[in-house]
Amino acid sequence: MEVDNYRKIRLRLTTIFVVLITAPLAILVVMTTNSLRETAIEKIEVSLARLIEHKMDVVSLFLKEKEDLLHMMVGMYPISYLGRQENLDDLFIAVNKTGSIVDLHVIDSSGRQLAYTGPYASSLEGKNYYDAPWFQHVLIKGSHVSDVFLGFRNVPHFVVAVADPLKTYILRATINSEQFNKLLLSTQIGPHGDSFIVNRDGRLQTPSRAGITELSDEDRLLLAPHEGTAVFQRQEEIVPKTQELGQVDLPGATAIVKRQESVVATRWVKDGEWCIIVKALIEDSLDPFYALRNKIIMVIVITSAIFLTLALLFTNYLLRRIAEEDRQRAELGHQMMQMEKMATVGRLAAGIAHEINNPLQMITSQAGWIGELLPEEDRLQVRNIAEYEKAVEQIKHHVRRAGTITHRLLGFSRKISTEQQNVDINELMEETVSFIEREAQYNNVTIVRNYSPSLTTTMTDGPQLQQVFLNLINNAIDEIGPGGVIELTTAMEKEKSIRIDIADNGHGIKPENLKKIFDPFFTTKAPGKGTGLGLYISYDIVKKLGGTISVANRNSGGAVFTIVLPVIDHG
Amino acid sequence: MREFNVLVVDDEEEFRELTAKRLEKRGLKVKTAESGEKALEILEHSHTDVVLLDVKMPGIDGIETLRRIRAMKPLVEVVLLTGHASVDSGIEGMKLGAFDYLMKPIDLEPLLEKLSDANEKKRLHQAKIEQAEIRRNMSMPS
Ligand SMILES: [Mg+2]
Repeated sequence: MEVDNYRKIRLRLTTIFVVLITAPLAILVVMTTNSLRETAIEKIEVSLARLIEHKMDVVSLFLKEKEDLLHMMVGMYPISYLGRQENLDDLFIAVNKTGSIVDLHVIDSSGRQLAYTGPYASSLEGKNYYDAPWFQHVLIKGSHVSDVFLGFRNVPHFVVAVADPLKTYILRATINSEQFNKLLLSTQIGPHGDSFIVNRDGRLQTPSRAGITELSDEDRLLLAPHEGTAVFQRQEEIVPKTQELGQVDLPGATAIVKRQESVVATRWVKDGEWCIIVKALIEDSLDPFYALRNKIIMVIVITSAIFLTLALLFTNYLLRRIAEEDRQRAELGHQMMQMEKMATVGRLAAGIAHEINNPLQMITSQAGWIGELLPEEDRLQVRNIAEYEKAVEQIKHHVRRAGTITHRLLGFSRKISTEQQNVDINELMEETVSFIEREAQYNNVTIVRNYSPSLTTTMTDGPQLQQVFLNLINNAIDEIGPGGVIELTTAMEKEKSIRIDIADNGHGIKPENLKKIFDPFFTTKAPGKGTGLGLYISYDIVKKLGGTISVANRNSGGAVFTIVLPVIDHG
Repeated sequence: MREFNVLVVDDEEEFRELTAKRLEKRGLKVKTAESGEKALEILEHSHTDVVLLDVKMPGIDGIETLRRIRAMKPLVEVVLLTGHASVDSGIEGMKLGAFDYLMKPIDLEPLLEKLSDANEKKRLHQAKIEQAEIRRNMSMPS
């Protein structure tokens, strides 16, 4: 397989693993963090509802306390007593221990001021309040609490006025609201939250924590019926969120509106005249959520990394296995192809040899016939008779040559005869060397023997194997030429096979020829010098004997042919 | 050289005729047959010492012909000659009792030598049989 393909497989596997591992984890992260955020926001809503409830209590208590105080005074003292300036002065000193009361008015039912204790005595002398709206309100309802206004020295004030039970006079007190501002501001709603009170017209009754002086258009909508969640705190439980009310502006409930970045709670107090508004920025309350989210993300990233590493290691392992198997298959395929090629050529060669042998027979027969008849000719009349005789001999000689080749071709197409003997490879090799030692000496080639003394014998076809040795050694002599050295080495391999190396110190074999060297008719010898069948036949014989033959170039120069034969016991 | 009768069996006419001519020139008596069937027919009706038999022929091949010759005339020696030197057919031929197995192309001299050897074997064989018969006739006078 191509390297490119491995890359493709690796990419595909890696992608699959990455998707399979990271996608579920990513979904888990998104889902977890979303629900965590939701929970955090719900928590804000709950705490806002609690907070606003507390504020409402503070405001109501404060107002009621002041109202009760005045009620108590008008109940205790008749107009005849409080209408006198010195009595009012005494009372003021007695009740104003905290300093929250700025002044006290006593006004009769016709609006005339009977007595006044406070810093504005001179400017209020003789003033008639009969036409003031609050005055009428008090006469009808018995009491009144005004909106907040900035009075003396820019300090916020509001007015509380009550009438005596018989409505004969009215006691009016101006109250410094700074104290209850402080109470309101002291609540925890995060660094960017806000809380303040507005009246029905949207005017701020207390300073805003965030410092705004006017209600924004968006916040102004909170004063009218609006979308949101109603929370009834008095029942000590929160109305489930599913009960989202389309329009929340209920007097007894806190209305909660969730915005993009903040949560706003509103609650009407003072009989629906004032509205407490508390805002909390969601971001402020998310710190614990972020901490948790980061922890989850970290765990998931580490987990992913571990899984991915394992997946990549696995991919690598898998690819190595595939590559190894591919290589083995390719090798096997190559061997099979080689064997098939050999078998085909063998059959082809046998067929051709047969077809050629018959005409060769006729040529040699006809030539022989001429040769037999020639002596009967008149030597004087046939002047070139000697030439003819010579030609006949030449024809017969060349037919014999051709016959040798066809016989050899037929020779390797035959099967191994069953006549196998117990062969000592060292002996066989030595016998082979004895045939060619003379030729080697003639060529000035040295033969070095490295025979293993511990070589076992094996059942094999000695003469055929000898033909292989002869072939290889002859090739080596031709290849190295004068001065060369041929090394013959035998050795046991793992007790199960015999290894025979026939090495020379010639020029070696060109890499491109290494694969073709056992192919039939492949030769590097000069035309006419080699048939290209020697190595082919050697290959064929060794294969049929159950062994392998291979060739390699030596690092020190030259080539080495290696035959590995199985050790077969007498069987 | 002793004179003897040879039957040349080959599907190639040129080979048959030429071989016959050359063997006759050497003093042998030669008949020819172009197929196995024809050879068996000739063998039945005439005296033959050695058969030169081609292995590959149309009709019944050399091996089958050899088998029938051995059954019909066990004393006649057969020399196989073929262009197709498959060891298998050679071994089989020898097992069936062929005298030898030759491969084309072959010169006349070695061929003649082989035929003579075959004839010699046949002659010795025949002599032994005759002697045995004589011994039998002597020990069991009728
Ligand atoms: Mg034929």
